[in-house]
Amino acid sequence: MTARAPHNVQAYRRSLRQALDNSFLRQTLDTFAAAYRESRARAFEGIDLEGLIADIARRKAAALPRLEELFDAFKRRAEAAGAVVHTAATAQEANERIAAIAREHGVRKIIKSKSMTAEETFLNAHLEKEGFQVTETDLGEWIIQLRREGPSHMVLPAIHLSRHQVAQLFEKVTGEKQNPDDIEKMVKVARHTLRRAYLEADMGISGANFAVAESGTLGLVTNEGNARLVTTLPRVHVALVGYDKLVPDLETALTILKALPRNATGQIISTYVTWITGATPCAASPTGRKILHIIFLDNGRLTLAKDPVFSQALQCVRCGACANVCPIYRLVGGHNYGHVYIGAIGLILTAFYHGVENARALVMNCLNCQACKAVCPAGIDLPYLIKNAVRHVLDQEKRRPIKNLLLSRVLKDRKLFHFLLRRASLAQKPLAGKEPLIRHLPLFFDKTHGFRSLPVIQAVPFRDRWERARRSVTDPAVRVTLFGGCLIDFVYPEQAEAMLPLLADHRVAVDYPSGQTCCGLPALMAAEKETARDVALQNVRAVDLDRSDWILTLCASCGSHMKENYPKLLGDDPVWGQRVRRFAEKVIDFSSFLQDVLKVSPEDFIPSSQRTAYHAPCHLCRGLKVVDAPRELLKTAGLEYVPAKDEDVCCGFGGSYSLEFPEISAELLKRKLDNVEASGADMLVTDCPGCVLQLRGGADKQGRPFQVCHIAEAVARTYRKKR
Amino acid sequence: MNTQELAELMTQRAQAVQTVVVRCADWPAAIRYAVEVTAAQGGRTVAPWAIPEDMHRLLVESSAEKGLAVLDPPFHRHGQEIHTALTTADWGIAETGTVVLDSTEEDCRIATMLSETHVVVLPESRLRLSAFETAQAIKAWHHDPPRYVAFISGASRTADIERVLTIGVHGPQQMHLLLLQEAQS
Repeated sequence: MTARAPHNVQAYRRSLRQALDNSFLRQTLDTFAAAYRESRARAFEGIDLEGLIADIARRKAAALPRLEELFDAFKRRAEAAGAVVHTAATAQEANERIAAIAREHGVRKIIKSKSMTAEETFLNAHLEKEGFQVTETDLGEWIIQLRREGPSHMVLPAIHLSRHQVAQLFEKVTGEKQNPDDIEKMVKVARHTLRRAYLEADMGISGANFAVAESGTLGLVTNEGNARLVTTLPRVHVALVGYDKLVPDLETALTILKALPRNATGQIISTYVTWITGATPCAASPTGRKILHIIFLDNGRLTLAKDPVFSQALQCVRCGACANVCPIYRLVGGHNYGHVYIGAIGLILTAFYHGVENARALVMNCLNCQACKAVCPAGIDLPYLIKNAVRHVLDQEKRRPIKNLLLSRVLKDRKLFHFLLRRASLAQKPLAGKEPLIRHLPLFFDKTHGFRSLPVIQAVPFRDRWERARRSVTDPAVRVTLFGGCLIDFVYPEQAEAMLPLLADHRVAVDYPSGQTCCGLPALMAAEKETARDVALQNVRAVDLDRSDWILTLCASCGSHMKENYPKLLGDDPVWGQRVRRFAEKVIDFSSFLQDVLKVSPEDFIPSSQRTAYHAPCHLCRGLKVVDAPRELLKTAGLEYVPAKDEDVCCGFGGSYSLEFPEISAELLKRKLDNVEASGADMLVTDCPGCVLQLRGGADKQGRPFQVCHIAEAVARTYRKKR
Repeated sequence: MNTQELAELMTQRAQAVQTVVVRCADWPAAIRYAVEVTAAQGGRTVAPWAIPEDMHRLLVESSAEKGLAVLDPPFHRHGQEIHTALTTADWGIAETGTVVLDSTEEDCRIATMLSETHVVVLPESRLRLSAFETAQAIKAWHHDPPRYVAFISGASRTADIERVLTIGVHGPQQMHLLLLQEAQS
């Protein structure tokens, strides 16, 4: 089972389209996503989750530079207790070592408990080729082994299969009729069949969740109890462990254990947590003690551990949550959202463990919606690492796509960039006519891109309207620099214009420096880090920080990029670092500014009966962590807020993502609009012009019965002019 | 938390993972319970591990009355015929409903893994709130190898077919926790 991931985006999109047609998978993953969200929240009740995540991240990060030292300590302790500890530089070496151990001890039959590390090395395929009979004992792993396929989830390997598929499979295995609706009975089939395998096996292979250095102890976490039988009954036990599983002490393991089951399956604890130190008594062994071999797999980990950016990926505890919350995983499942490792972490690790050719197409399939980052118990900035992995793949292949070269060339030169945007406004005229939307794309676009109307680029951008639009405030209470961003400046200037009277009435002095340009997020998304840095500096230079209490933006994507990524890109710069950090601290979104800084009151607004649904932009609710302010602002502004399902799930825009993977983008958009329509809203508001572009374009194209606008426009409409 | 509160939390959390929790006034009550539960399930055998010596005698007598056999170690000879494992836990972790068993001896492991029902006796004085409060004791075990330490929270379970929770896939299909009150004093 050494299936290959699609090696180019075209082939990948074909498999994605097939997956989108699999209605069982979609329904299963939808139900799972909803159930997971609830059970996880319940499991973490009463726990300081942020503190726990920070603790785990700190402990794992501190262990990484010490991996070899921790390994030495582990080896010393474990060998003193009767184990034999090996290292394997590559997957092949690990597989060969395990086969050699099996031969040495006259092994024929092997039982295995679930191990992602063994999946990583394609261990079963190797052992079978060598003539050993291998039986997986985790129920899900056994099912997929019988079907000769790989797992589609790191914790629930057979989640892509229906009870009917399992029943058919078990009929073939047992030769007896199975009732697909009697799942309990099918589980008993596995119990009885596998019980024999346990009793007959000569060798058991396990992974490990922890390798505790201070005592040479392996920690295993399972629900079924199969790992206990695998490590107890046969005379030989081989544990295949990634170097990244090394932790200094039991306390660290227990700290991770506090989050692992809660985050993986919403359980407070998994049924069995097993700690094995050394060769325990074993009647089946000729010596009376277990023959225990522990193999530490490198396969790139030790190099990764030294990488300033990617080392973070080794903090992963394999809970699988990054898949559970990923809107793309939810649509296409794990066989299309990973190679061996699945979900966001899989996009990253594939490039390092399974070669860039297997990561090439896969790594592009990220919306940067931040859902994975928000749920990661080890505090890994997964979307940021994915963007860096894109660059890693390009560098390894010595590729630099033309669009990347153009993007960099253009973004670095603001005047050229803005010149081109103005030219684009002229070029689109034949398509748009007098309409504000382009409903039919020119032929050079693939027809799959036609799922939404596109807005026109304005003939007069906000920067050229500014002198006329600005209001003078004689006695300012607050001084604000407005950061437009490309979409506000060149596509939706009316969203910024709408809020100006309200700001002036509240004695807010607004400045719009013309030296500002694109925030640089598109450059980072295209893995052009140098350009992202360059553009960030242009913006930091353009703003007079001494004359700005806040840097206000209507764009959640620009806002979260400036607030979080600017310090990452430039925070350590000896010349600009301090100014960049100060800049980032001042960035604020529209809703928080009105609600928390200006503290607008309901008396400023005329109540409206318009039923208003809200879409929470990824970069606002997770990027800037602004959750309540917009909903409160809607109420303050006299609008009737109606909740909709999955408000904080991505709309599918993701900047250039929607051009790269239009089928996924279209499907996410459709679901979003379905949910809004089901809420009975007359209006959908959001606080990011990118989301407006996607949602309004979709609502127009699909003739949805509600309008879409930016929250600034919605609030401006009910605003009552101050007397 | 006092012992009473710990016992209540332990009961609630263990029940949440389908463990049957019973409070027993003393050891003989625990023995009677284990025998009755085995007989009620139609089981024929009990494999005791780490129970007090005089209780072993009581177990043999009570089992005989119900026609049950008490198995003697080594249990690997009885791998296919153990109905009930009767063990004593070393610690209880209340906030997760967990029992901690030093399972270094293979007989303990075979009894608790291959039985249909696991009846575990936990003196209430061995209850702690969190795993961290048992860390020093567990570390001491780990530093005195070889060791096989088991945290057990409920019966064996899976959700691998359509995410339907199903109990009893590989290990015991039932877990009974007997909270022993006598050890308080």
